[in-house]
Amino acid sequence: MKQPFLVSDKWYDIRDLSNLSNEILHQVDRALPGEAAYILSPLLGFVFVFLLFVLPTQLYLGVLGERKIIGRMQSRYGPNRTGKFGVLQPIADAAKLLTKEALTPRYADKTIMYLAPVLFVMPAVMVWAVIPFGPEMIIADIPNSLVYYLAVSSVPTLVIFMGGWSHNNKYSLFGAIRIVAMGVSYEVPLVMALLGVVVMTGSLSLNGIVFWQDAFDIWLVALQPLAFAIFFICVSAELNRTPVDIAEAESELGSGYLTEYSGMKWGLFYGMDIAYALAASALGATIFFGGWSFFGLQDWVPSWLFFIGKLYAFYFLFIWTRGTLPRLRIDQLMAFCWKYLFPLALFNLFIVATERVIWTDGLDGEKGFVYIFAAANILATIVLVVTWARFLGYRPENQTTKPRLVNEAGGYVPVTPASGEGR
Amino acid sequence: MSTIQGEPFIINIGPQHPSTHGVFRIKATVDGERVIDAEMVMGYLHRSMEKLAEERTYTQNIPFTDRTDYLSSMSNNLGYVLAVEKLAGIDVPDRGQAIRVIMAEFQRLASHCMAVGAFTNDTGAWQTPIMWCFREREKVLDLFEMTSGARLTCNYMRIGGVAFDLPKGFEEAARKTLAGFPQLIDELDAMLSGNEIFLARTKGVGVLTPEMATNASLTGPMLRGSGIAWDIRKADPYCGYEQYDFQIPIGYNGDSYDRFSVRLEEMRQSVKIIQQALDRLPGGPHSTQVPLALRPPKGEAYARVEGPRGELGYYLVSDEGPSPFRFHIRPPSFINLSALKEMTVGGTVADAIVVLGSIDIVVGEIDR
Amino acid sequence: MTRELTGEELAAAAERLVPGSVARTEPHCCYIKPEHLRETMTALRDDPEMDLVYLANLCGVDYWDRFEVVYHLHSFVKNQIGTYKCETHDREKPVIPSVVPVWHGAWMQEDEAYDLLGIVFEGHPNLYRIFLWDGYPGWPLRKDFLSMPGGLQPGLNEFAGVSRRGEPPVRMTE
Repeated sequence: MKQPFLVSDKWYDIRDLSNLSNEILHQVDRALPGEAAYILSPLLGFVFVFLLFVLPTQLYLGVLGERKIIGRMQSRYGPNRTGKFGVLQPIADAAKLLTKEALTPRYADKTIMYLAPVLFVMPAVMVWAVIPFGPEMIIADIPNSLVYYLAVSSVPTLVIFMGGWSHNNKYSLFGAIRIVAMGVSYEVPLVMALLGVVVMTGSLSLNGIVFWQDAFDIWLVALQPLAFAIFFICVSAELNRTPVDIAEAESELGSGYLTEYSGMKWGLFYGMDIAYALAASALGATIFFGGWSFFGLQDWVPSWLFFIGKLYAFYFLFIWTRGTLPRLRIDQLMAFCWKYLFPLALFNLFIVATERVIWTDGLDGEKGFVYIFAAANILATIVLVVTWARFLGYRPENQTTKPRLVNEAGGYVPVTPASGEGR
Repeated sequence: MSTIQGEPFIINIGPQHPSTHGVFRIKATVDGERVIDAEMVMGYLHRSMEKLAEERTYTQNIPFTDRTDYLSSMSNNLGYVLAVEKLAGIDVPDRGQAIRVIMAEFQRLASHCMAVGAFTNDTGAWQTPIMWCFREREKVLDLFEMTSGARLTCNYMRIGGVAFDLPKGFEEAARKTLAGFPQLIDELDAMLSGNEIFLARTKGVGVLTPEMATNASLTGPMLRGSGIAWDIRKADPYCGYEQYDFQIPIGYNGDSYDRFSVRLEEMRQSVKIIQQALDRLPGGPHSTQVPLALRPPKGEAYARVEGPRGELGYYLVSDEGPSPFRFHIRPPSFINLSALKEMTVGGTVADAIVVLGSIDIVVGEIDR
Repeated sequence: MTRELTGEELAAAAERLVPGSVARTEPHCCYIKPEHLRETMTALRDDPEMDLVYLANLCGVDYWDRFEVVYHLHSFVKNQIGTYKCETHDREKPVIPSVVPVWHGAWMQEDEAYDLLGIVFEGHPNLYRIFLWDGYPGWPLRKDFLSMPGGLQPGLNEFAGVSRRGEPPVRMTE
């Protein structure tokens, strides 16, 4: 670990909030006997991380920010009636949802239906345990936190299936079956893409990956652009966000697995969807954008500020795609996963593994070669994506066409090469 | 090797569904995601306007036509008054005709905004294009409010002309409104026409061959999307459409994408027509005097206009009474549904939604 | 401009294609005998000279003594429109041959005419009450169906013509 410029572990050093919590624990340990501090420490970590970051950000910046930004993209104001600039809108929403009647279909499987929203919340909270907010600001600094994250974040797929299945509703069932098919498929390229990162950095720990990026002064998004693209698409699919929100698919299936949920049960799903999106943004920011590090600047400025900034920049990407793109069909989505993302992820893994072997065995791990690899990888990404899209995925019928213009009404105007110039 | 055996089941798309644009229902039999049979159920909004119209005078019937296709009331008014004028042999002054053209084309812009926006919403573009479309559509509705006092059900056309002359300041307001449209169309074009996902969702979905489109009596953008150059404004000009310079956009394959692009291009042409009409808006009276108790001579008339959804016809039979003996509407969106089954069967549920969006139905007009 | 074909032209074309198919001719339209209807329509559609490929409109009319079904046929290439009609005098069971085999677009319009006027289209693949529910009393667009004010009330179980209170039906007069 690189030592900060000004070493201080006093509690008022807010560059790392763990100093404060450590100080509290220290005092507790001195004042109280036995294992009080041991019991208190996870609670304290939970309070610091979850209450200080996740809950306020989720409530205010997640819900409100998404609605505001989408509103701006759609040339409208977004919420602006509750409080100044609509800042109280999430509270008003929650109050509305809490007072709403929670309907239950007569033939629903009530146990599973009531259990699903509760189970949906748990992974959304659990994944935050391993997200490093700063060099030491991490609830559980386990050595293989990436595996932990992936394992926990694949639980919602099952929970959504439970929710969709339990209603005895055909739309919900459609959504449930779609999420199972999609969730399982998209997990594969996602893990493949992250495997490339692991091979390059040699660490399964999220904090270790951030330290690696800090040590080599490069973000992995530059070193592994292809992995980043695959990660982003797969995470969008896992999170059910447009353009791949086919499990929810409002215009096709009503609301898919959410069709029969109402009141706060729906609210939990909605809120936790955003929590998952934020958690995925946290993961993306940690792995690909350097997490809490910012080229040494984190020694001067609180590192968690960088992390939060990157998290929201990443979250903005989600909002942006959501506000822009239409939705894919289920068969196209699966084809996209297995025919495009999966081979590209394999290629990426192959390239990274080769580079790693050359780098460690032939070049003694010299720092400067990372930038050469980055340039090579960006080039390889462009070549691979363009090749895959142009030559393997080329469909002549799927080109933009402009309608022909004729001056006189009449019968059928056949498509001739002369008139078909628009295609 | 064993395969998983399933059995088809019925899924009701509608009557309460975000993508049926009203209370319309498709009883789809699906095998997994694939639609193997589709049956339409309609009539939830049936008000028997054709019967009601037989009890009211010719002028009193104009508001009914507003409420059939509530997204294009001006065009519906126009079709009806044209039929009555044809039946009774009434001429309309030049200014009235020019105002009618302006209104009908503005209505087409507003209606196509809705159609394109709702269609993109059906493909899953999360509300963004429809909001852009509504931004411009609101301005057109403001113009209608300025002119007729109502935004949606305008009740503006009258037998022999229009209800009121254009208000003061209409021309500037109209030009200002019009200026926003090319930008909107370019925005939509830039955002959707080349979008890979949009192309994948709409190209080759709901294909209609020209033979099929003709045989199934489809009209409007559906017919033109299949490559048939047919537009009543060109083929049988009414209200002086022959004076204006515009073109008919036609598609290539007759799929959902072609219908979308034809609608976009039609909006461009409408902007062109309105600009020409505003440039040469003649003076004079806006309407001729028509007796209040109009009793057209015995006979029948079938008049049609090119509404936003296609050929909108009115068939009137008169028995010299004060009210029509028979009042029949040829509703384009009802007849455009004829080929729905052919277009949806074989596709997925998501395709069925896209096809339904590309037809651009208005349930008030289907059920009447 | 679209040329509106006169009754003589329409009758001449129909006679030329299917001899003996014309029942009578009026200045603006031509009546086809029901037994020759489908044959004549098919011939008119396929005939290159008439080229009436497009069924613009189909509707039924009740003239008290007879039912008429009106077909507005259109040609894209020749840009002409013609009005053919077919009539039946049987009020109890009006039967007209269906033209669905000729034009697919007639399907729902014939359903509508059946629903509202009670004209049975023989040979229609799926004739059902498209707007109203099965068992709706009467055929609303018929002239002897009561007018709305004072006439049929919602939820009335009796057949049209008898009000719920047993009073004689009131017809709104001019």
